[in-house]
Amino acid sequence: MPSIAAARSSPMPMVNGDVSSPHKRRLRSNSASFDDPVCNTPAKSCSSLKSKSPRRSVNDSPNRSRSNVETGVSLLKLKNSPRKKLLDSILDKPIWNPTDSEQLSVVKEALHVSTAPTMIVCREDEQKRIVEFCKQCVEQEKAGSLYICGCPGTGKSLSMENVKGCLAGWAKETGGQLPDILAINCTSFSNTSEIFNKILEKSKPNKKVNGRSTALKQLQQMYSQKQQSADTKMMLVIADELDYLITKDRVVLHDLFMLTTLPFSKVILIGIANAIDLADRFLPKLQSLNCKPAVVSFRAYSMDQIIMILKQRLMALPYTVFQPQALELCARKVAATSGDMRKALGICRGAIEMLETELRESTCTSTLTSMVRVDHMAIALSRAYKSPIVDTIQSLPQHQQIVLCSVVKLFRKGKKDTTIGELNKFYIDICKSTLIPPVGIMELSCMCRVLGDQGILKLGQSRDDKLRRVTLQVDEADISFALQGIRFFRNCLQ
Amino acid sequence: MKIQRTVEEAIVLLRKRLCDPDFIFSLFSDSPDSNYSKLKFIVSSSVTEACNNSILLLGPRGCGKNAVLDLVLEDLLKEYPDMISVIKLNGLLHCDDNCALKEIARQLCIEHELMFSKMASSDDNSQFMIAMLRECGLAHKTVVFVLDEFDLFAQGKQRLLYSLLDAMQSVSSQAVVIGISCRLDADQLLEKRVRSRFSHRKLLFLPPQKDDLQRLLKHILLLPTDSTLPHDYVTDFNSRISNIIADKKFNEIIDKLTDADCTVSNFVRFLFSAVCCIDSKSGYMTLENFKSALSTVQRQPKLDCLKDCSILELYIMVCIRRLEFKEQESYNFNSVMKEYKTIYDSVQNVDNYSRNVCLRVPKSRG
Repeated sequence: MPSIAAARSSPMPMVNGDVSSPHKRRLRSNSASFDDPVCNTPAKSCSSLKSKSPRRSVNDSPNRSRSNVETGVSLLKLKNSPRKKLLDSILDKPIWNPTDSEQLSVVKEALHVSTAPTMIVCREDEQKRIVEFCKQCVEQEKAGSLYICGCPGTGKSLSMENVKGCLAGWAKETGGQLPDILAINCTSFSNTSEIFNKILEKSKPNKKVNGRSTALKQLQQMYSQKQQSADTKMMLVIADELDYLITKDRVVLHDLFMLTTLPFSKVILIGIANAIDLADRFLPKLQSLNCKPAVVSFRAYSMDQIIMILKQRLMALPYTVFQPQALELCARKVAATSGDMRKALGICRGAIEMLETELRESTCTSTLTSMVRVDHMAIALSRAYKSPIVDTIQSLPQHQQIVLCSVVKLFRKGKKDTTIGELNKFYIDICKSTLIPPVGIMELSCMCRVLGDQGILKLGQSRDDKLRRVTLQVDEADISFALQGIRFFRNCLQ
Repeated sequence: MKIQRTVEEAIVLLRKRLCDPDFIFSLFSDSPDSNYSKLKFIVSSSVTEACNNSILLLGPRGCGKNAVLDLVLEDLLKEYPDMISVIKLNGLLHCDDNCALKEIARQLCIEHELMFSKMASSDDNSQFMIAMLRECGLAHKTVVFVLDEFDLFAQGKQRLLYSLLDAMQSVSSQAVVIGISCRLDADQLLEKRVRSRFSHRKLLFLPPQKDDLQRLLKHILLLPTDSTLPHDYVTDFNSRISNIIADKKFNEIIDKLTDADCTVSNFVRFLFSAVCCIDSKSGYMTLENFKSALSTVQRQPKLDCLKDCSILELYIMVCIRRLEFKEQESYNFNSVMKEYKTIYDSVQNVDNYSRNVCLRVPKSRG
């Protein structure tokens, strides 16, 4: 791609360029640099946060001009308080100007999920293990299998990209042979056995696929005999979202891992999935053959790790965007719920948008520089984790609220489902108690259908409308909470 | 004659307004807090900043999700021509992954004036989609995917959602995925890895409150003063409408309507039948128009059926009802006749129908 190649040749581009798009392209190409072996980044990253001066961090991101550097240095304040040692480098930078659209877009891009960070922190151990495993297999020319598991958003695919770069660097250094790398996402297969076609194609690109036997049989044949040519390379197969290959008889998954057990196999298999016990549950035979895959588990991020990753992303910017307490609040909440990095990044971007709307609406422009505060982060967090159920119930029309109320009262007696006919009787009782004229049963079943569409109730099928079964999909406590503002319902639901 | 033509013109104008969702929902788009401005901000910032985004529009049916989205897309296509292409999918039509990929490929081909081959396999289609996303990303064109009935896409293995959202994780593509659903828990239906890739942004569309409904009423029904209609007719019409709105009985009618169903589409339907009831001789709307419209919208077909019953049929209905009160769930003809006899015995001046006549009733009434 010519545009990106041109960007690499000029490290110090024009900042005040009239076109914003080439600027954006450069930023991406520079941040997604896979050539630099960044595998050997131990806990030094922590100390580098303290010792790195703002000047050096400014130079790292090529899109800042010299003038900003001068102002940044002049505003340096030496903070020696032990409490905020780690946050020193953040607070020493000038506060950003959110009304400047260029700064805004740069910050948002730095926090976007698709931007790969320059340095991958908090995953050094796992990456080291994977790289050691690959190196071992390549050096000994032995096949092997590895299984990577972890919740979504824990950095598995990101680390694999890094590992690929590491291996390339190592091969160049030692002059050894770089294995063929085949990275596939198993969701793209309509037929699960196509994975063997892909492996066969990659290992023997020139050979025509033999129509008589399947790709799997050919591979098995190939790996059971000693190869004629002595310089066949090892092949690293990275299978992402491995659980899509699980069929009812689990044959494909078994055969895939069994390929690595054949005597002359050249396949190094790395499977990535979410389930921790995939190997145990679906590959019991491998245990008996004594070639169970090693397991590297990527645990969910803890609060400190999330803060570290967020800071590392914001490190490249020459100004502070967030108040440290805001970052801490976000990390704490996300770590407590899922430990998913994508969610944390999304919430940070949401907090920036809260700041934007606040500045747009406020008339006083006295504070042109303002950081993202804890209250912005709190609003963004509540938006992310709030369920729309309570709001929707509060805005339902009156009769539908009465229907919900009667469902709750009916289910309090211990039953968990009922029919529309029975519900009608309860509903008429409640309406009579407040002198509201009840609607007919046809309207009632219509309203139940509307509530079922929205996911609040669940309606069964039946020939007769009156006999359709009704169950509650929403928590009873949510309904009581939502309706507590209206006195009638409060008394009713007591 | 002239008055008739004026009245017809006025009725046509009102009906045209009621059938145009853009006109109806543009009223709610002014405030910065409205869903229109929030949605527009998100999509336009994705276009200008060239980043990927995803959002879910939730709310009961008839609250304007599709209408507001169409408004937003129309405005953005005018603001940024040639920078946005829109792909629309519907969960009722395209819930099968192969079908959906084919439709995406077909719409992309139409947008970019390429030839679409019906023979392409689903692999070809998905590779085409990924290649097109990359090309559009390089050309700084944002592709907006609109997934209607989003909860239906979340059935099965969710391959389509996964491949769309995964394509958005890469740097080379520029896409916005907008999901529209009436199920409030639509994002809980997603698999955890699809949910992780889908951003948490949700916009809730709620039915309007009472004062918003009043504003909508005035917005639709008050005739514009700068139209081709004669000025005095317009002022007369508008003053009568204002009088009706201030009337307490009118508010009761509106309350009765919104107590059962307060969505905008139901309200618009009610106004449409009210407008159709305008008497062409008088030429103005009256309270009676609204009353008859309410009875058309809130029909009780079984009650209408009962009005036509003969007296004997009514007697039989009453007997069955009395049996129901006595907690008898099922009844046959003999038990009904016994009940009828007890009524006849207790109240002397009830008509006495013989058994043979009564036998004919159930056959005619079904």
